[in-house]
Amino acid sequence: MTIVAFVFSVILGTGSLAYGYSQAGMPDPARWCVLLGIVWILAHWRKYYWFSGLALLLTLAAAAYGVRHGFTTIWMLLGALGGLLGWDLSDFAMRLSYAAPTDDIQGMERRHLERAGIVAALGFGLALLSLVIHINRLAFEVAVGLVLLAALGLTRLVIGLRKY
Amino acid sequence: MQRRFDCARLLAHSAQREEHIMSKSLLLGFITYSLLLAGIASVRGEFIALALPFVVYLLAGFLFAPDKPQLEATRHLSTERTSPNSEIDVTVTVTNRGSHLEEVLLDDVVPADLKVRAGQSRHLIRLPKDSTYTFSYKVTGPRGGYGFEMVKAKINDHLRMTSREVQIEAKGQLFIFPPVTRLRHVAIRPRRTRVYAGTIPARVGGSGTEFFGVREYHPGDPVRAINWRASAHEEDILYANEFQQERVADVGIILDGRLRMNEFSHGHSLFEYSVQAAAALTDALLTQGNRVGMLVYAAFLRWTVPGYGKIQREKILYSLAHARPGGSEVFSDLEHLPTRLFPPESQIILVSPLHEDDLKPLVQLRAQGYQILVISPNPVKFELSYLTKNRNVDLAGRVIQMERTLMMQRVQRAGIQVLDWDVSEPFDLVVKRRLSRPPAWLRAVGR
Repeated sequence: MTIVAFVFSVILGTGSLAYGYSQAGMPDPARWCVLLGIVWILAHWRKYYWFSGLALLLTLAAAAYGVRHGFTTIWMLLGALGGLLGWDLSDFAMRLSYAAPTDDIQGMERRHLERAGIVAALGFGLALLSLVIHINRLAFEVAVGLVLLAALGLTRLVIGLRKY
Repeated sequence: MQRRFDCARLLAHSAQREEHIMSKSLLLGFITYSLLLAGIASVRGEFIALALPFVVYLLAGFLFAPDKPQLEATRHLSTERTSPNSEIDVTVTVTNRGSHLEEVLLDDVVPADLKVRAGQSRHLIRLPKDSTYTFSYKVTGPRGGYGFEMVKAKINDHLRMTSREVQIEAKGQLFIFPPVTRLRHVAIRPRRTRVYAGTIPARVGGSGTEFFGVREYHPGDPVRAINWRASAHEEDILYANEFQQERVADVGIILDGRLRMNEFSHGHSLFEYSVQAAAALTDALLTQGNRVGMLVYAAFLRWTVPGYGKIQREKILYSLAHARPGGSEVFSDLEHLPTRLFPPESQIILVSPLHEDDLKPLVQLRAQGYQILVISPNPVKFELSYLTKNRNVDLAGRVIQMERTLMMQRVQRAGIQVLDWDVSEPFDLVVKRRLSRPPAWLRAVGR
């Protein structure tokens, strides 16, 4: 179950990026994205779990580059989300490899996929919402201040949650 | 014997430490803040949108981070004492006294040298509050004493944003004793015996089975004790047969664990054979009622004080279970053998492959009045048994065997009884053939 979800996530991530790049008239980087997806799946198959971290950074870099150059944001967002899910599922698969055959692997897989799915859906929903909502009358300084405030708030929240 | 080891509570006895898994949250944090900064720098809200799934992931991970775990564990071994390569069931029960734990990787630390034969010592489980999880596996291993100490538990949240590793104390002990070969009788003849009745001729007339001499008949002696042939030589004196009293004796067994004597090329070792011989002799001599002590002479001295009976047998087997060959400058030869440990004129049994240098200390021991029996696993035949056969090896083997034979003859000439044991033969058969009764020369001299 996990392997299917992992492959789906990788295809979603790298496929979205490839589609976004090809739409923007950059076929070569699109091919590189497809190649990244293939190599990622092969690396996972060979149990090179460390590659997932690198693949996540690469997909994110590709998504950020696309956003910077004004490619279709939704494909870039799906690319980053697919990278995040692929990275998470690869790590989960590594943890599952420690389980004994008699352990409730299917139950753990089901619960993990549910939670990861909820987190991904929530993140994607919020991201979409942020793309849809536009506040036109906001000065640049105020926007910067709000982002910094959000970063600070996020930091405080993480610290608070870790203490909790 | 089955015995349950109660665990100690986690908070009191276990070490807890945060794991390096923080690198996962660090990576996510780095990505999130990079995207936020990129959004500010480029004045593009899309970067913020890209960061949001990572923010949600990060927060969800920390929100569901596991509380401080409160785990308890108990361990149960199907037996504490067993023989090499037999299977032992290890059952571990872990109880969660704290909050719900979503993902726990339990890893029971199996002592080195023990092998898991069936089942798994590692499990990935979900452990709700106040729930219990039990798992079993089978281990097997070579001779030795093994201590089970703890179960490692790695606790993760759903997304493994935080991870804790705790060690839960769950002690257990397993002793794998050397195999004990039953020997019917080991004939020894120390100069001095103890007062209790036993099986060793005491060189004192009295009741017994072996003829000792003839003395004048005393009123009260049984008529059947009268030696009619001797009495016929005198007109008015009757003679009675006297038999040798049989008593128990003090026996000190020295197990030679010197590395240079026992270890050979390609990891082969004679030590296990020596241990088996020592265990078999201990069992036989204690069964005969003797007082037996054991000295393991290796990197250090391990002395088991002499004693009688089954408890002493357990003590010596325990010592043998822990015996390991070892090297040391001090104990590289038998010069430093602590003879004061052994009662004067008692029987000493040395289990050793023997070396030229050992002759002098053995002769000195003999001169001090000890009766010495050397059980010597033959290192030449042992080494030849696994070496590839060719002319050079055969020739070298013959030369070394001749040297060894000469050395053995010198040892025997010093009044020391020697049993040269080819370890390819079962020890009990060799003992039955060679040690079931004292050698004729020893009986002749009576010493």
